[in-house]
Amino acid sequence: MNGLPIDLHLAWESLPALFDGLKMTAILTALPLLFGLALAFPIGFARMSDRRWLAFLAEAFVTFFRGAPLLILLYLVYYGLGQIEALRKGPFWILFGSPFGCAIVALSFNHAAYMVEVLRGSLLAVPHGIVEASEALGISRRNVFIWVKMPLAIRYGLKAYQNEVVSFIKGTAIVSVVTITDLTAVANSIFEQTYDPFTPILCAAAFYWAFVNLVRIGFDLWGRWLNRHNAEDVAADAVAPGRGPSLRPASDLKQVTP
Amino acid sequence: MIVQAADTAETGGPAIAITGLVKHYGNHRALNGIDLDIRRGEKVVICGPSGSGKSTLIRCINALERHDGGSIVVNGIKLTADEGAVQDIRQEVGMVFQHFNLFPHLTALENCMLAPRLNRGLAKARAEKLAMHYLERVHLADHARKYPARLSGGQQQRVAIARALCMEPRILLFDEPTSALDPEMVKEVLGVMEELAASGVTMICVTHEMGFARRVADRCVFMDHGEIVEDGEAETFFQAPESGRLRDFLARILR
Ligand SMILES: Nc1ncnc2c1ncn2[C@@H]1O[C@H](COP(=O)(O)OP(=O)(O)OP(=O)(O)O)[C@@H](O)[C@H]1O
Ligand SMILES: [Mg+2]
Repeated sequence: MNGLPIDLHLAWESLPALFDGLKMTAILTALPLLFGLALAFPIGFARMSDRRWLAFLAEAFVTFFRGAPLLILLYLVYYGLGQIEALRKGPFWILFGSPFGCAIVALSFNHAAYMVEVLRGSLLAVPHGIVEASEALGISRRNVFIWVKMPLAIRYGLKAYQNEVVSFIKGTAIVSVVTITDLTAVANSIFEQTYDPFTPILCAAAFYWAFVNLVRIGFDLWGRWLNRHNAEDVAADAVAPGRGPSLRPASDLKQVTP
Repeated sequence: MIVQAADTAETGGPAIAITGLVKHYGNHRALNGIDLDIRRGEKVVICGPSGSGKSTLIRCINALERHDGGSIVVNGIKLTADEGAVQDIRQEVGMVFQHFNLFPHLTALENCMLAPRLNRGLAKARAEKLAMHYLERVHLADHARKYPARLSGGQQQRVAIARALCMEPRILLFDEPTSALDPEMVKEVLGVMEELAASGVTMICVTHEMGFARRVADRCVFMDHGEIVEDGEAETFFQAPESGRLRDFLARILR
């Protein structure tokens, strides 16, 4: 043993397994991000709907899936749904029968609930006057949404979205409890085999760090490209992350800079 | 000669016919029975104290606010709750706002191109030509590729005017187009508006720029408490105001 807490030889040996784990973590990030975003739009529209019952249902969805800890959610989907006889015999069992399917479902709903609020906050931040100007030009509601509201909302909401994605990536570590071998599970199994607590965990941390930073750099480039039209636009600062209760609480902000 | 008949009907009636217009905000009666006819090509200036309903009135004309009594007919199209009628009217009516309301994520040129492309399905090249034509008219051809944040207030407002012109509306509404501008920029915007006025378009302009009103307006309308108090030729309006309220108002703003 040298002075380092890390066993370099073990670290080197573990690399392939850790990479496989990272691959699983990446998949468990990418798919729910996709499904969650797709879900967030209809639910977000419902949330902002004038129809009270629709808005109420959407709000109930958001409250439930934001309020339930991801771990509980995962247990509910993985162990709870299996108790339902009809589901076990139905076509959806392909999804709910596997830990992977359950993890994707739980993570997607969790992400969707957060994204509904990000989306809503960003859309509400679009200055009303600009929307009116579009309407006065005779642009249809649909086109106003596609060409004016969304492009601006993306700019205003990008920081909040980035925060959500970054904390989401870290949140995926929880899937190891339902026997999925993601990055955390791989590190844990190496620890159990070698009784070296530091090497695998620190290596996994480095992998997470690299992954999160890659995502952050991606967001930075995207943001810089989107905001090429100004360095000093005031409106873009209107939705600072953590703004109001609609976006994620400020306590999550620390996670932006890992 | 059906075509000709339709043509006369088109050009015959008033550009805007407003009768008994009422608009409430909750319990507050913002417009209290407005009657106003505006001829084709006429330039009308609307003035009045803050809260008198000037913005509400012109915003009702293109249905940015929905009225709840009386009628509005624009170029022969009756404004109803029907989305089709609203869209038809908005194709005829352009609007310029106090705070410009340009699309911050688009260049001056793209700001002007968006509505023609979306509403009329113009190809990019044609929309660009159209946009450049109107940017030249507001003397901003050199700034076409700039984003709004890089333009001065006066330049932004002129882009907003060009953007409205690109839909080639027959009626233009202005809601205090110069009151958010620094004094040195007011002139360039009013200058562009005066040039426009010479082109034969129908203009309704809420403004307190009385010099502009004198030079350009065929008619001035004074509003107070949601009503039209005085409505007359620009000259008599300023020289011989009939009502005490208008006299007080003019004394205050001309001071
Ligand atoms: N969206 C709204 N909700 C409630 N009240 C409103 C709304 N818009 C206008 N009002 C009220 O209606 C009245 C007329 O307002 P309006 O904006 O038309 O006045 P204005 O003559 O344009 O005034 P200003 O010179 O200050 O622009 C005011 O009393 C105003 O408070
Ligand atoms: Mg006003």
